[in-house]
Amino acid sequence: MLVSWNWLKQYVPLDMPVEELTRRVMMSGLNHESTVEVGGDLVIDLEVTSNRPDCLGHLGIAREVAVLFGKPLTLPAASPKENAAAPVDRLVNVRIECLDLCVRYTARVIRGVKIGPSPSWMIRRLAAVGIASINNVVDTSNYVMMECGQPLHTFDFGKLQGGQIVVRRPASGETIEAIDHKTYPLGPDMCMICDARNSVAIGGVMGGAMTEISDQTRDVLIEAAEFDPVSIRNTARQLNLHSDSSYRFERRVDPEGLDWASRRCCQLILDLAGGELAAGVVDVGQRPPQRKPIVLRLPQIRRILGIDVPAERVREILVSLGNQPQPSTAADSLVVVPPSWRRDLSREIDLIEEVARIHGYDAIPEDVGVPMVPSARRHEDRVLERIRRVLTSLGYDEAMTLSVVDERTSQSMSPWTDAEPLCSRMPVLRGADRLRRSLTPSLLAARRTNQSLANAEVELFEIARAYLPRPNALPLEDLMLAITSGRGCDEVKGTIEAIFEALKIADLPKADDADLAVLDPGAACRLQFRGEPFGYVGQLNAEALKQFDLRGATTVAEIRVAPLIEAADLVPRCAPQSPYPAVTRDLNLVVDQSVRWADVAATVRQSGGPCFESLEYRDTYRDAQRLGADRKSLLLTVALRSSEGTLTSAEADAIRDQIVAACRQKHSAELRA
Amino acid sequence: MSLADFLSDLDVLVRDATSAFAAAGDPAALESARVEFLGAKSGRLKSVQKGLGQVDKTDKPAAGKRFNEVKQAIESAHQQAVAQMAAAVRPKTQSRQFDPTTPGVHPRLGRLHPITQTIDELKEIMGRLGFTAVEGPEVEDPWHNFDALNIPSEHPARDPLENFYLEPQNAGTSGEGRGPGEKTAKPPLSTLLLRSQTSTVQIRTMEKMRPPVRIISCGRVYRPDTADATHYPMFHQIEGLLIDRGVTMADLKSTLRLFARSAFDPDVHIRFRPSFFPFTEPSVEVDMSWQGGWMEMGGAGMVDPNVLRAVGYDPEEYSGFAFGLGIERICARRHQIADIRELYKNDVRFLRQF
Repeated sequence: MLVSWNWLKQYVPLDMPVEELTRRVMMSGLNHESTVEVGGDLVIDLEVTSNRPDCLGHLGIAREVAVLFGKPLTLPAASPKENAAAPVDRLVNVRIECLDLCVRYTARVIRGVKIGPSPSWMIRRLAAVGIASINNVVDTSNYVMMECGQPLHTFDFGKLQGGQIVVRRPASGETIEAIDHKTYPLGPDMCMICDARNSVAIGGVMGGAMTEISDQTRDVLIEAAEFDPVSIRNTARQLNLHSDSSYRFERRVDPEGLDWASRRCCQLILDLAGGELAAGVVDVGQRPPQRKPIVLRLPQIRRILGIDVPAERVREILVSLGNQPQPSTAADSLVVVPPSWRRDLSREIDLIEEVARIHGYDAIPEDVGVPMVPSARRHEDRVLERIRRVLTSLGYDEAMTLSVVDERTSQSMSPWTDAEPLCSRMPVLRGADRLRRSLTPSLLAARRTNQSLANAEVELFEIARAYLPRPNALPLEDLMLAITSGRGCDEVKGTIEAIFEALKIADLPKADDADLAVLDPGAACRLQFRGEPFGYVGQLNAEALKQFDLRGATTVAEIRVAPLIEAADLVPRCAPQSPYPAVTRDLNLVVDQSVRWADVAATVRQSGGPCFESLEYRDTYRDAQRLGADRKSLLLTVALRSSEGTLTSAEADAIRDQIVAACRQKHSAELRA
Repeated sequence: MSLADFLSDLDVLVRDATSAFAAAGDPAALESARVEFLGAKSGRLKSVQKGLGQVDKTDKPAAGKRFNEVKQAIESAHQQAVAQMAAAVRPKTQSRQFDPTTPGVHPRLGRLHPITQTIDELKEIMGRLGFTAVEGPEVEDPWHNFDALNIPSEHPARDPLENFYLEPQNAGTSGEGRGPGEKTAKPPLSTLLLRSQTSTVQIRTMEKMRPPVRIISCGRVYRPDTADATHYPMFHQIEGLLIDRGVTMADLKSTLRLFARSAFDPDVHIRFRPSFFPFTEPSVEVDMSWQGGWMEMGGAGMVDPNVLRAVGYDPEEYSGFAFGLGIERICARRHQIADIRELYKNDVRFLRQF
């Protein structure tokens, strides 16, 4: 809202420096954006929050200033001289056919005006608030809008067919030529102002060319109405016609101020353009509802604000803002009826805020003792921190990518769901409108960005949510850890295993063949953890590298974080350690190619008995000639230790034999000499 | 025993021993080879020595000389094998001269994203003030994003141009996610949207628990802003909420000051300017004193009685405050990042600075 200092001065004495005025109004709710000097006037830009449409006119600002500085507020005259011989209701008839779009419509008529230029003071003031001068009648309606916040429209009454105003929805396929001389197609829920035949204005948004005020205009109809805010907003958006008028109707106008604005406008037209005002007003629609009194219990001020404000001061603030005091039935409370221009005041808490902002928030202390309560970091935050620590220690940098991707990226891979992705109605950023079902494609794009910058060593991870659609429910927002790396598959898989170690999770995920189209089947696996899908690791195949525009071997992995959070043991228990030395035995087991390490390892652990301590994988050896094409040799080391005493060589050998026997039975393993 | 036989035994012995020592792959194997050939009781050298007594007297000097040569050869072969094994075990680096002036060997360390670092810092500070972190969904229903937050259906904040509403899901094609999910027994959902504020988590938390409530929620939020140096359509918020009996605006101001003193400067002050948010009343913009002026921190206020009622709290019994701060702004200030779009570009040169 642009405010002219000279204009404002008309309603409230301004004997303070402008800086003091802007500081005080800013501290009471009108944020000060800037002050600019324009031709001997000061133009102050104030930000008006959407709950305060009363401040979208100079009078509203003046009222705030008067309250803050304890000055009198002077309302301008709005008592135009009427020609009693010509009642307006003989000249014009108004009918509202859509009360849901137009709550109330008033019309006055002035006959015999002389259209001409506005006086220089009016031109200057309008220019100060960014409105170009048109002629004395149009300028006056704009002037009154910027004075009190009520948008007005003036019609060339002579061009209104049948002396009639009908407020209705447009006929199907109807269009209108607006005063900007563009033709607009009309939607079914737009509120049209019409004469006996045609639409003559888009109510509250823009007037029509047909009835606009011209140099030939003699008779003028002055419209002051109230339109439905949602309808105005939709209409303005659909037509892309945002005006000072629609802005104010969207935020709702003062229902009691309608008639005042109409009279004020007529008075100024009579002064500036002459003519005769027909007696009375045609006033159709709903009368503004009576405002209900609000009870303010004074102790509530301390309960909410934490400070005491003397009762007399509370009363003074509320009354000066236009609230009408009523007799109160209870001690310690005030009853007021809020003013019509303050629809935002309807509850006790609203009055408390009024008291606070005028009394000043500086009175609220910033050093009261806030009581202590126990609180602890969440388990999941601790787990995530530990995962991040492992990854940064292993040389991965944390990336952060947009949750929404474009269609091509979205379709590139979806390891978690076959459901179509959720889709935003408008792109979040450059074509990105699909909620991602996997983090990996976004991280691959980040890898590409780094590749184009010729950055060496691009090891990235991200922890974020994938959005997995579910029928008739919010999507499952599953927290994922994704990695893209120039390292090999073994190393990235080892990174995941290191996370398990850091979180003290004893059982490792189980690897299956990978079935993802982007991965090289020879260097990839799906992971299962405790019987649930857990993730995958693998190298991109040549086709995928091409698709993501990447050079050089690229390993990707994506795992679910929730199972890690659930399984993590952040406070492990101490187990007693044997004081005796360990003995190791190396085993070289020849098994079929199809036998999995994880199964052999489980057998070794189970069959080792109480002295089994640990098992270490060493290597896999394949040799078609010496072992046969369908056999492989697993090299492993077991550590054995007794809590009873040092194991002898013979005891250790016996345990080894026991392990070998179990492997032979379960996996047809042979010990290789 | 003829001299020739004896000498032949010696030749076999030296050949076997030398190759056994050379073949031994680890200290244990070498030791067993030593025992086999040089063992004091039953080593092969020992048993060959027994044959020396059976050689003819005339041949004895020649046989004895040869035996001593062989014994020395085997012993030195063993010494050599021991030395080689020790050299092999020793780490490579130590075989070179250590140069204290060159860099040591250390693995490359990765970096945490500056947003993560900022969130950790803020959670840490608020944790000390007794606020427990909670989380909630980013895809929300209008009840949690608007209605429960006192934003009625005709409010401009619900405008399609101000939010990322999602296309309705086609129930026929959307299958169950493969990941195991929570079970929901709720009826079909109306229009979903990407949450425009983390205040939604306040509602979800209050729906689940009774006061006192003292929580913070951090996370991604989405608003249709054009990306520029200070805006991005996805950003992070930290939202605080405290509900209890007798909570006042003085508690709000004091809590925010404690936060600002911990996060920025021990000597800061807090200023409130009136503002408007549907879910708080009174609503304020929060400024902190900074380098002789005031700097915007975020929005705050007392939780609106309608919000308390929406989650089944009695506003006559409980009161509380809420505040929300933009994490990107705090992060940019902490690290002097001039353009927040850098945060989502993931250039490793940028990431490794933090």
